[in-house]
Amino acid sequence: MNLVNIKDVLTSFSPALDYLALSTGDGRIKIWDTVKGQVQTEFADIASAEETNIYTNGGKGHLSVDYTCMKWLSLERKKKRKLGTSILVLGTGGGDVLALDVASGQLKWRISDCHPGGVNAVSSSTKASCIYSGGADGMVCEIDPNSGNLIRKFKASTKAVSSLSVSPDGKILATASAQLKTFNCSDLKKIHKFTGHPGGVRCVAFTEDGKYVLSSAVGERYIAVWKTDGAKKQSASCVLALEHPPVFVDSWGETDKMGLYVLAISEVGVCYFWYGSNVEELGNAKPTKVSLATEDSSLKQQHKGSLPVIFAAKLQGVLKPGSANAFIASGLLVKPSFQKMLLQFGNDLVLNASKNGVLLPITQSVSKSKKGQGVQNKVTTLDRAHAEDALLPIARVADLQEKKSVQPHSSDKDTDMIEQSQAVSDYVETFSMEDKLRSLGILKGTNEPSNLSYASAIDGIDLEAYLPPKKLKSAVLSMEPSTAFKTLEALASMWQTRGCGGRYLLPWIYSIMVTHSHYIMSREPKNHQLLSILHKITKSRTIALQQLLQLSGRLQLVTAQINKAVGNETQTRVHEQEIDDESEDEEEDVEEHFYGENDNESELSSDEGEDKGK
Amino acid sequence: MIRGGRSYVTSAPSFSNDAKKLLVCTGNTVSVFSAATGLQITSLEGHTAQVTTLIVVPASSAAQKILCYCWTASLDGTIRHWDFSGPELLQTINAQVPIYSMVIPSLLSEPQQTDKRYDSSKLVAYVSVEDTSLVREGSTELRGHIRRFNLAKERLPRGDTLKETEEPKSIVISPSGEFFGIRHKCKIHVWDVPSGGSVSKKMTLHHTKVINAFAFHPTERIIAAGDVTGRVLIWRGFGNRKLALGSQKKNARAMVDLDNPGVRDEDDAESCTTWHWHSAEVNVLNFSSDGAYLYSGGREGVLVVWQLDTGKKKFLPRIGSPLLYFIWSPEPTLSSVVCADNQIHLLKMPSMEILRTISGIKPPPSLPKMYEGLSSTVAFDRSSGIAALCTENYCVQLYNLLNDRGISEVQVCERNHQPGDEITVVVTAVALSLDGSVMSTTEVKLPEDGIGGLVSLKFWESEPDSKTFTLSTIVYEPHKDAGISAIAFHPTRSMAVSTSFGGDFKIWVSNSDKSQTDKDSSWICHAVGSYKKKPMTAAAFSGDGTVLAVAAENVITLWNPDKNILLSVLGATLTPITKLCFAGKSEFLVAASHFPKPELSVWNTSKLSSSWSYGLRIEAITSALDSSTFAVLALVPKIFRKSKSKKNVFRGRDGAILLFNGSDPKPVSIWTVMKAEGGSISFLEGDKSQLRLAYVNGSHEYVVFDPNSDETHERSAADYEGLVGEEETGDFGYTSMYGELPDYDKKRKEDAESLVTPFVSSERPWETIFSGSTLNFPPLQKLCGEFFESLMEKSNSVVE
Repeated sequence: MNLVNIKDVLTSFSPALDYLALSTGDGRIKIWDTVKGQVQTEFADIASAEETNIYTNGGKGHLSVDYTCMKWLSLERKKKRKLGTSILVLGTGGGDVLALDVASGQLKWRISDCHPGGVNAVSSSTKASCIYSGGADGMVCEIDPNSGNLIRKFKASTKAVSSLSVSPDGKILATASAQLKTFNCSDLKKIHKFTGHPGGVRCVAFTEDGKYVLSSAVGERYIAVWKTDGAKKQSASCVLALEHPPVFVDSWGETDKMGLYVLAISEVGVCYFWYGSNVEELGNAKPTKVSLATEDSSLKQQHKGSLPVIFAAKLQGVLKPGSANAFIASGLLVKPSFQKMLLQFGNDLVLNASKNGVLLPITQSVSKSKKGQGVQNKVTTLDRAHAEDALLPIARVADLQEKKSVQPHSSDKDTDMIEQSQAVSDYVETFSMEDKLRSLGILKGTNEPSNLSYASAIDGIDLEAYLPPKKLKSAVLSMEPSTAFKTLEALASMWQTRGCGGRYLLPWIYSIMVTHSHYIMSREPKNHQLLSILHKITKSRTIALQQLLQLSGRLQLVTAQINKAVGNETQTRVHEQEIDDESEDEEEDVEEHFYGENDNESELSSDEGEDKGK
Repeated sequence: MIRGGRSYVTSAPSFSNDAKKLLVCTGNTVSVFSAATGLQITSLEGHTAQVTTLIVVPASSAAQKILCYCWTASLDGTIRHWDFSGPELLQTINAQVPIYSMVIPSLLSEPQQTDKRYDSSKLVAYVSVEDTSLVREGSTELRGHIRRFNLAKERLPRGDTLKETEEPKSIVISPSGEFFGIRHKCKIHVWDVPSGGSVSKKMTLHHTKVINAFAFHPTERIIAAGDVTGRVLIWRGFGNRKLALGSQKKNARAMVDLDNPGVRDEDDAESCTTWHWHSAEVNVLNFSSDGAYLYSGGREGVLVVWQLDTGKKKFLPRIGSPLLYFIWSPEPTLSSVVCADNQIHLLKMPSMEILRTISGIKPPPSLPKMYEGLSSTVAFDRSSGIAALCTENYCVQLYNLLNDRGISEVQVCERNHQPGDEITVVVTAVALSLDGSVMSTTEVKLPEDGIGGLVSLKFWESEPDSKTFTLSTIVYEPHKDAGISAIAFHPTRSMAVSTSFGGDFKIWVSNSDKSQTDKDSSWICHAVGSYKKKPMTAAAFSGDGTVLAVAAENVITLWNPDKNILLSVLGATLTPITKLCFAGKSEFLVAASHFPKPELSVWNTSKLSSSWSYGLRIEAITSALDSSTFAVLALVPKIFRKSKSKKNVFRGRDGAILLFNGSDPKPVSIWTVMKAEGGSISFLEGDKSQLRLAYVNGSHEYVVFDPNSDETHERSAADYEGLVGEEETGDFGYTSMYGELPDYDKKRKEDAESLVTPFVSSERPWETIFSGSTLNFPPLQKLCGEFFESLMEKSNSVVE
């Protein structure tokens, strides 16, 4: 396979970045469609295809055309706003400058023997008002891009001009041989001379605002940054070091506002990226590398030189400080792939090298391709039974408590959704009417989910409804001892978990204990635990009794004073409350009193109910 | 504003005289492509409606080959004369009636008299026009007229009418310019071109089948015609009696020869032979420039070359799409064949090798009736501006809207596409995840005789290198036998939901989230949900992905997609919901339904109530990611469009894009568009966080514009005015943006308001109960009665 060095590859992106012109030094120019990743068209032998046979000898094959530089620019049309012609300006080793109309595939114009000895560089500003070319004769030509007329010509250097660049605004021209010179484009007066490069400068680029020039010479492993409007004599503002000599330099951004972004491609096809908010910072920055994965060492050995590399890149825009979009052409020159990627300063990137276009030896290719296909075409197929492990819907969310617990969980990110979930709980009963109607039926009497587990045990007992002691007693009496015991267990655990108010539970517990004491005693060894639990609970609550009584006394006092002030006497209510508290704790000790009070309380509460009804 | 996706195949293209350029009718413009590179060089802009005919003035001598003049005729009723090297408009002739086809015989017949090209008396055009005065009355009268115009006059009179047909026909002219004709059902009418000022004579050839295409031989009196069944008929020596050139010859040949083989009735032809090869209709017929060969093609997508004398055949198979036109260039080695899939192939001639292809956006597939309106065949990658479009040949085309260029095609199912075959597989839906890394498609294998139908759902992972997608997971029968109604992707995670008419929805997740490399990723079913066994018709994830809204016929259910918990149910609309979309990250949910009563409703998920609704038929909804802005594509009702006062506003546009901001029921802006049916819209959020709206219409033409920025409004208004001023054009098939002229704007809004019908109808009181503020919500006891009443009413209506 022909070894192509990236140094000899000419690349140029179209201004809209949708095409890439690529010439590998064999006189052919391929136009790649970067959107599709396919060759759009190929230009070979342009010179002889036209009627330029008069100027050049007839039998000249395309291989004799030796392109040395390439620049794609689009000509704006002022008259009509439609696709401006885009031309590809080429310099040849023979000293000709030619322009190719890419869309129509025709030679637009040609300047023969513009630079005797060979054209070394062409450049133009973003507006493409004129083209500058520099050649081995040390001259710089200014060319009208529309007609191809030579406008001006001046001697920039006694030595060959190796590279040149025009600032984006088209005001400053930088030419480089061994030393870098800047010229004012309008009067072609020399502005500055920068010396320091030992050899011929290979690449020159202006920053977006034209305040700095980047340059790098052949064999140098760094890029020098020069200030364009500084003092007469000065050294480089900063130096950006790389591991291999750069072949291409591009920059983006302005020094004042966005910071500087510099992109370079080295000889070995690795892309370097620097960012700094100012030049000093840029100089201290460590480059971020974008490289292609070279995991396949066998491939390396067998195809020496034809390694996938990054060979063209262009900064496209800045997303936020420190990260920029870049358009990168990588892979093999025979089949490049194009990617728009986000370069983040500080994050090295390794791209996957696609093996497209590699001609593999047959023995290897069979296994390779099979392997490759096996990896690539691994398709999972699911049949009808795909949903067996799937989550089933949690059917009903009528319960508000549950939803509240779920909601913040699922919407921790977003306040809107929390808002919504709260709203859900607030309004669900009003809005999903039919659901509510149905759920009302379900929900009746089940305010606690924990209740459900005991539902079987206390079947037939309405804990909520208050029963007079006699009725309660008869109900307990009518129970079979075993069921009564089960009920007791259930009630005890409910009390323990505070599932239900002691006010309702305790009469039942007490009454069962009284009525079925024999049975309970007979089960003593087994239910020792139960009794001890009950005992513990009662104990623990009686401890607090003293304090509760104190508190209730204090409360009584305060409320009495308040009531006195108001002139209203609702002492009884407080008292009743207190009793209620007590009753939970003192059931076994103060049973008589408790019942008496409870009677009283029931009357009161019924009174209250009536009041409310009224 | 970017426009694109134009069809290259609406009418026949034409080569320039040096065969280096190819002129293609693209909507309102003529695009000039380079035959060498396949890239567009320039375009001729000026017509305000579709360009229907393109005639390049032929060069008679080698020196003239560089001349670049052409005539165009358009549906806007004008005939224009151009210099396309410039490009420059030289002359405009107003014919006042839409022109469907035009021929100018004198350009062909008098190439020798070079200087008389503009001899005014000679420049006579025969045009096929539609008499629009008759269209309006909706009568069954003959609307299509073949007329004779003299192009020398600036303003054309009515012209002599040669023939009237039901609808406008395309005129075919012989390469020699001596004859022209039209096909009309089973007949071909042929006229000769009178040399002097005399009236042209007419003759008719008959056939038993409907004729689809015909062509004249360049030198001899031979007509080739193709019919719908695939036969190619060759009439030789036509018109010897009736169309004799001189009167003396007429006498000499006025002998009736009844033995003419194959010629029907009293037709004036010497013989008629029939060639069989095509299995389906013949669309393309053309003789080679020397008359030795006949090219034919049809639905099979095979170009057949017949040796005229012997009937021997050569083929160019596997073009892959029905052929529409075949043209040859002045250069004998170059010709072009035009296919229905919006591709123009340039052929290297004797070997018939495809040199280069100029391809555009693929036209939408023709879906069987049952899938119309249900499928969503366009999906957008918001960040990169790529649209995924379903195409005819079971493919999904990835098309870069910003560059107007196709990227690649993804073959959705393994079946080979034969253009002539009946449709057996339908790709019903395509969806792209927000970052464009995953694509999902659904396809239905249509049952043959009721057996063997299969629904499958596929997930595709993107391959950034090759700019295409590779298959990751196939799910056969994802919802048992039921069809998939919608697919939606989670905004941030690898999660998708598919809903089915069978009453359930499934949430799919990719296991690549958890571990493993990218290549091993596959999708599994994460959760299944249903709501009262109602058909699920649409789905959408909220902006942050925490809530999934699934439409169960006419109610919207809100789910937690992770845990599969039903969060709540939003009240009912009147009709089944077909589209759902959260308005960005706001709490608003936009729902659209269209059968039987169209409705666009906006729901407030925080209040669980309907905010507002319009009685509009909605084709597509899209919402911006960050703001609460959303846009809908609405079909404007016919009655409204037709009413006299609004006619000038709509000018044939059948849809409108309405841009809303959150809860505000008043649209921020309205644009009227053409071919809205089957269209689709989406916001595109590029790198510069600049919001753009892309609209792809029913025939895959599209426009990308900035909906918010005032500058765009103004600029486009200026554009619009500029167009009007210079070239008196509007824009056909595309959005026309109305400027911010204040009085006009007001009128627009009024239009919009009068256009919407309030959702609440008075005779159904219970429907109003649930809309409005929750604060003045009536107590439960009162509601109950109303509610049950409503239930009863509903069942009554069902019984009726």
